[in-house]
Amino acid sequence: MNTLLNKVLLLQNTQALVCAVSSVQSQLLTTHMALGVLLTNRQYRSMPTHGIGKYRHLLPKALPKKKKDRVQVKQIKAATATEFGVFNVCVSGYDMTLVEHYSQYIHNLCNHLDIKVDESYALPTKSTEVMLMQEQGTKMYLDAVLKTHERIVQISEMKATLFPIFMDVVLKNQPEGVRFCVKQHSETDFQARFKTRPELEGLLAKINN
Amino acid sequence: MAAPFSRVYRPLWRIITTSALNRGVRNVSSSRQQWSAQNVKPAGAASPWALHGAVCLQRLPAVSQDRSPIEEEFMELMHQMELERSLLSDHELRLLEDAARMSRKQEEDYDSDEEEEDYRDKEIVTAQDLEDIWEQKLKQFQPAPRSQAVDEKDVSSSERCLADSLILLVKKHVGSQKLWLLPQIQWQTGETLRQTAERALASLPGADLTATFLGNAPCGFYKYKYPKDIQKEGSVGAKVFFFKAVLPSHKHLPLEKNSFAWVKKEELQDFLKPEYLKQVRRFIMAL
Repeated sequence: MNTLLNKVLLLQNTQALVCAVSSVQSQLLTTHMALGVLLTNRQYRSMPTHGIGKYRHLLPKALPKKKKDRVQVKQIKAATATEFGVFNVCVSGYDMTLVEHYSQYIHNLCNHLDIKVDESYALPTKSTEVMLMQEQGTKMYLDAVLKTHERIVQISEMKATLFPIFMDVVLKNQPEGVRFCVKQHSETDFQARFKTRPELEGLLAKINN
Repeated sequence: MAAPFSRVYRPLWRIITTSALNRGVRNVSSSRQQWSAQNVKPAGAASPWALHGAVCLQRLPAVSQDRSPIEEEFMELMHQMELERSLLSDHELRLLEDAARMSRKQEEDYDSDEEEEDYRDKEIVTAQDLEDIWEQKLKQFQPAPRSQAVDEKDVSSSERCLADSLILLVKKHVGSQKLWLLPQIQWQTGETLRQTAERALASLPGADLTATFLGNAPCGFYKYKYPKDIQKEGSVGAKVFFFKAVLPSHKHLPLEKNSFAWVKKEELQDFLKPEYLKQVRRFIMAL
């Protein structure tokens, strides 16, 4: 009977062992020793080689891919006594290389002077058609298409003492053919960047009516 | 560069809500005023230094600076590289097609029906004609001159040296001497120093210059003591605060030769006293 009991317990042990090996990273190669030794002797945590082979903790934390949610309206900071609030520096012109380079120059200047640049974006290109009247006749014909490019660098929390210096540098380096202006940032400016949604507006109008 | 814009095209630079910004930032200068006023009340005597506000009026460069020889060579090289790497534009492709079609027409086995069924709808104006028309128009275009016909040495004209920024200097009686200075005027109680600077600009005789001030914060400072015989109990000297202002470069009337000068930074040393020059040089940027 004893041997039978031994065999049953041995069987149970081997099953437990199989489960343990599959679920726990235990490197202990157990031989079929005495029964009590297997069940009570969980000394793997104290083994020097405990956790050998683990690498997941060394990889950088892979954040779950977040879907781009709707761009939130950022709170526009107001001006304080010594700092300006959020303002936009708009650079526009007909020559794209000049406009781009000038806006990049302003951005780099801000980085160099440790001025915080919130955003730096481009507004859609506007095409202007120049129509000339024909010499003989009343019809207008297309003479040229001029494209106006516009770049905006949004700056926030600029110190009032630094502003005249910044403006001086930027104005002196303005190229010919490029228009430059500084405007305070407002909600309308932010909303102007988005496309209109005619169906939504139509439905809203219907609800209101 | 865009040919239509070789003309002087000045920035219509403006801060729209200047008043809002002023409201926000004005506290800086008014607090200084309060501080000096507080000094007056308990002490019973004003500070021995007289305050002056001065304006550093700059005429911005109207054209870009000329390139140095190395810069010219490099620019040529870059242009050539860009040309060699670029693809043909629509117009150039059309030119090539027309040229090929012309050469095919000259051949003996030219089948006009086969060719023209594709090109029947083409316009009469070929790409080459368009190019000729455009060349003609370009010849008619007159770009604005890079330098006005003004003597470069004539410091009283603001049209000189269009590629540099110029500063306005005035000749003033200070004590017994006539000195070249930046326009300055004494501060009166109840106004901010920026207003003093604006008043200094407006009070210049014979010049109605409307300039835009760049900010409420002064850009420089100069302190001088009166000569010993003028020094009294309450007045030791004067402190001058400079404010930067920018002049839009439209046409200006020439100012009086002997009392006004538009100078570049390099020429300042011919006009200003050494101590004054040392302080003024710190905030003037030459480009």
